[in-house]
Amino acid sequence: MISCTEFIPAYSELFKFIEAKEDKKAVLGFWEYLSDAFLTNLKDLVVEQGIEGCWTYWSKTLSEEAADFTMELDDEKGEFSIDMHACPSKGRLLEYNHIEPYRDYCEHCDLLYRRVLEPLGYKYELDRSRTDFATCRLTVSKIKP
Amino acid sequence: MAKKVIKRKASDNPYHHPDFHTALNYGIDYLYNSLGKEAVREYLVQFAGAYYSPLKKALRDKGLTAIKEHYEKIYEIENAVFDMHLSDEELIVHLSESPAVMHMKAGGHQVSSVYNETVATVNREICKRTAYDCELVDYNEENGGYKLRFYKRKL
Repeated sequence: MISCTEFIPAYSELFKFIEAKEDKKAVLGFWEYLSDAFLTNLKDLVVEQGIEGCWTYWSKTLSEEAADFTMELDDEKGEFSIDMHACPSKGRLLEYNHIEPYRDYCEHCDLLYRRVLEPLGYKYELDRSRTDFATCRLTVSKIKP
Repeated sequence: MAKKVIKRKASDNPYHHPDFHTALNYGIDYLYNSLGKEAVREYLVQFAGAYYSPLKKALRDKGLTAIKEHYEKIYEIENAVFDMHLSDEELIVHLSESPAVMHMKAGGHQVSSVYNETVATVNREICKRTAYDCELVDYNEENGGYKLRFYKRKL
């Protein structure tokens, strides 16, 4: 059995495998498929709770992933953010001496969540300028009518 | 509602995110549906060859004890019910039910028909180019439980 603690390298290798077999477009296609099939829980929470659904979703996932982060929700302003000080996924990939991370690994976070949140009326921004240090900043804000 | 803020350090929580099992399952199923069963095996060989290279080295250096220690650690993290029997010639690993499969089913997700390759192909690859081999003796499609046999190759 592959443990869930071994998933991140399996995920990274999967992206590499798909790109080698086909191309980058196929990797993007896989991320779209994964977003639609797998992130139904995020979608359901945001539909039900509004922007607080982001808080509910990431409170659970980032705690289970043992992430180092600061998360903020301003319900009145309709703003949610995560300052990822040490991403557990990218951090692990950078720590391995025997595994080379997929070149565009962090891009999946941009596509997967954007694909859920934008159709629900939210602006999704992900600053990936420091992902080589396993840090990033995610902001979600309600688009005002 | 007032503004809410939480700050967490990595050390605040154990690393155990079972939804990753579901994501891997979707990856396996995507490959199966788009490129076929051989592509699933090829991917798992690539992953296992890369990621488990330290375990392969330990298998060469320490023998089947290395596999036993690896799975004891993994199953403990996953809260799995298991038993293992190690002798000079073989290691039998019996997992009563797979925490991965049970988690996916509890979440209403369809388990890929080739998910058992994550057991069979991965463990065969770990053994490749060592003195040992591995066979999946039994696999329960309902709960993902299995019996794996690691054994010394005949020269």
